[in-house]
Amino acid sequence: MDKSYHTIAFYPQKCNGCNDCIEACARINTGEVSPAHSRIAIVKDSEDGSFGLALCRQCGEPRCVMDCPAGALSKNEDTGVIQWEETKCVNCQLCTLACSYAGITYNPVTRKVMKCDMCGGDPACAKVCGRGALEYLTSSDLYDKWGDMEDLFVPGISACLGCNSELLIRHTLRRIGPETVVATPPGCVAGVGSVGVNGFTATKTPVFHPLLTNTASMLAGARRYYNRIGRDITMLAFGGDGGTADVGFQSLSGAAERGEQMIYICIDNEGYMNTGVQRSSTTPYGAWTSTTPVGSVLRGKTQDAKPMPVLMMMHNCAYVATASTAFMEDYYAKLDKAVAAAKHGMAYIHVFSPCPTGWRFPPAMLIEIARKGVETNTVPLWEYINDGNEFHFTHSVDNPLPVQEFLSLIGKYRHLDADQIDHIQKMNKRRIEMLKMFSEQEERRAS
Amino acid sequence: MSKTIVCDGNEAAAWGVVKARPDMVAVYPITPQSSLAEYISQFVADGLIEADLMDVEGEHSVLSVLQGACLAGARTFTATCGQGLAFMFEPYFRTPPLRLPIVMSLVTRDGISPQCVWGGQQDAMTVREVGWIQMYCETNQEILDTIIMAYKIAEHRDVMLPTNVCHDGNYQSYGVEQVEIPDQGDVDAFLGEKNTNWHVALDPDRPMGVDPLTGGAAASGASLFVRYRKGTCKGMQNALRVIAEVHEEWGRKIGRHYSPLVEEYRLDDADYAIVTIGGMTGAGKDAVDMAREAGEKVGLIKVKTFRPYPLQAMLQAVSKVKAVGIVDRSVSFGWNAGPVYQEVLSTLYHRKERIPAVSFIGGLAGADITEDHFSQIIETTARTLRDEIPEGPIWINE
Repeated sequence: MDKSYHTIAFYPQKCNGCNDCIEACARINTGEVSPAHSRIAIVKDSEDGSFGLALCRQCGEPRCVMDCPAGALSKNEDTGVIQWEETKCVNCQLCTLACSYAGITYNPVTRKVMKCDMCGGDPACAKVCGRGALEYLTSSDLYDKWGDMEDLFVPGISACLGCNSELLIRHTLRRIGPETVVATPPGCVAGVGSVGVNGFTATKTPVFHPLLTNTASMLAGARRYYNRIGRDITMLAFGGDGGTADVGFQSLSGAAERGEQMIYICIDNEGYMNTGVQRSSTTPYGAWTSTTPVGSVLRGKTQDAKPMPVLMMMHNCAYVATASTAFMEDYYAKLDKAVAAAKHGMAYIHVFSPCPTGWRFPPAMLIEIARKGVETNTVPLWEYINDGNEFHFTHSVDNPLPVQEFLSLIGKYRHLDADQIDHIQKMNKRRIEMLKMFSEQEERRAS
Repeated sequence: MSKTIVCDGNEAAAWGVVKARPDMVAVYPITPQSSLAEYISQFVADGLIEADLMDVEGEHSVLSVLQGACLAGARTFTATCGQGLAFMFEPYFRTPPLRLPIVMSLVTRDGISPQCVWGGQQDAMTVREVGWIQMYCETNQEILDTIIMAYKIAEHRDVMLPTNVCHDGNYQSYGVEQVEIPDQGDVDAFLGEKNTNWHVALDPDRPMGVDPLTGGAAASGASLFVRYRKGTCKGMQNALRVIAEVHEEWGRKIGRHYSPLVEEYRLDDADYAIVTIGGMTGAGKDAVDMAREAGEKVGLIKVKTFRPYPLQAMLQAVSKVKAVGIVDRSVSFGWNAGPVYQEVLSTLYHRKERIPAVSFIGGLAGADITEDHFSQIIETTARTLRDEIPEGPIWINE
């Protein structure tokens, strides 16, 4: 498999054309702030006023390198950066014509071409951007580290278009590997055929349907026996929110209290999606479901969601985290910790899981909604490590977007009135304040 | 070396577990099973049982952890009764078609409501159609011996079914008798290799999808489901043979003989008989002896194995008499009679000639069925031979 590389992403809707990135680039390369020395340029569209990026994309098959007659340009196979060597350059400028992104340009002051070298892996432009319009992406590390691992679910399982659960289980099992017993209680993950239908199975590891009610108990029993005979087999649950927070809560709570060794992943799509979108205890306030319908009297769910991951932290699990598929590096880092923690106790990861079918949004919006959930503080990302009693946020919760930017994307919130939105905004704030108490306690303890 | 002690039925059951050497025992207390859970826990603490003890948060999880362990390869044990069994029902009725050879004591207890914590067989009888093997014991010795035999039956390759060993709450759970604990070497030789998950497993060394969705309108799904159902039924029918073989082998190797399915007591020359199940049988036998001394030609049929139903053995027994009185310690609400009575009626259909049969219901909620009660039961049954057939059921202790 080819290697994958880090890159700089540009989100034009977040850019206001302040030129901080341009100055930072010039400064780090020449010590001056003149835009003439910047390898990056932000170009304003004269018609619609939007911003565009002129920057080397460090292409996989770079035209500049191909067109250079002097061999002054080459791609570094380790970093992916396209390097320019001044001593070999004949100053023909053919490269500037070859590039479609204005990624290599002529500097009239130095009278040489210049291009981005990613600042050696710590790009100044992304660091200086206060609005998050430029982001240095390192998620290619995941591809390099785990891309060669076998996908332990077969292709063609019957998930809905744009299913977050399918994305999640493929990544998760690829990371955790085949020495695993997988439990998929009744719900979407079982419903897509992971355990199988009429004698065929979709999973390459041992997999089974527990009851909706006893996932953690069955895994606990199996793991105890493997411990007894000296085999280190990972126990992994993909529970839905119903099987976790509602009817399966007792067995999960018991297993957590006893410190049973497993990784329990709750894929929280905020209701019984597989059975026709009914309410669960993690359905958020105001949400439409088929059992909290919207009519002339009722306007969606009237209670707030059960704070499941906090409850698990209160069980003193070895490891507890929240996660979102829009933040895959964060998720993988948490999986690493969960794998380690499950050797001596319970690791619980609560994954925010938008559902195109049940929440009523177009499948292509999945990751954007997952991201907006985090950026509006509707879904704070945090982790708790029992060993050392550490609690911290893994994504900044300061300066969140207004919650409406999240709610307005989702059909199940279409009916909300101003009071309901206000309630959700307040609850988000309250949740963050509560979590910050854990975080501050941790800071005080550390100091 | 075998050893003789004096103990109650719950302790006798725990000693059976000691000798069967399970890998995992799971416990949750409920009256009148609690002291059995305590004996098991103490025996683990003392190293007499080298098993993983899982004291979990409820009966639902008790059976669930055992299912997980069994699928990984463990030999397992637990005990429950009454409301505990009711709460356990969801995993319970899934265990037989998963073909998991889990052994569980049912220290039988009556059902609520009205609120009640005492013995009765309503719990075990209520789950009689689920697919667990059910054996009912008469003495504390039989409890101990049957628990060991249960493993050999449940784990037999032709059976592979979970097994309940039932003894009566109160009268047997707390009643004290002399019990001989067999020699560990003899038991090991008797039980042989454990056999728990050759057919279905959660093991990365032989990955499989356990319990995939099966059935549906497609012909292939329907036929596959039927195959599973027939397989479980066949395992149950095989168990009739295996239970008999295992009891015979136990008698041969250990020296204690029990009727495996149905015991016939003073039946060969009897005109009529009473049918008993569980701990009431002792009083029943005494009453039969007294009636015999008075010249009555009465015998007794004791049900040891109720599931699978021992049709041929029962048919053979009831074919020897001209009337039967069946004593139940539970109620079939749907039939206004006792469950054992209903099953004996089904058996009688296989006879050419019709004979009278009377349903007696007694011993509910901890009540005693005394020798006097049994004498009345015998007398009432005898009168049916003179065409005095009472309206049933007849409620004892009313």
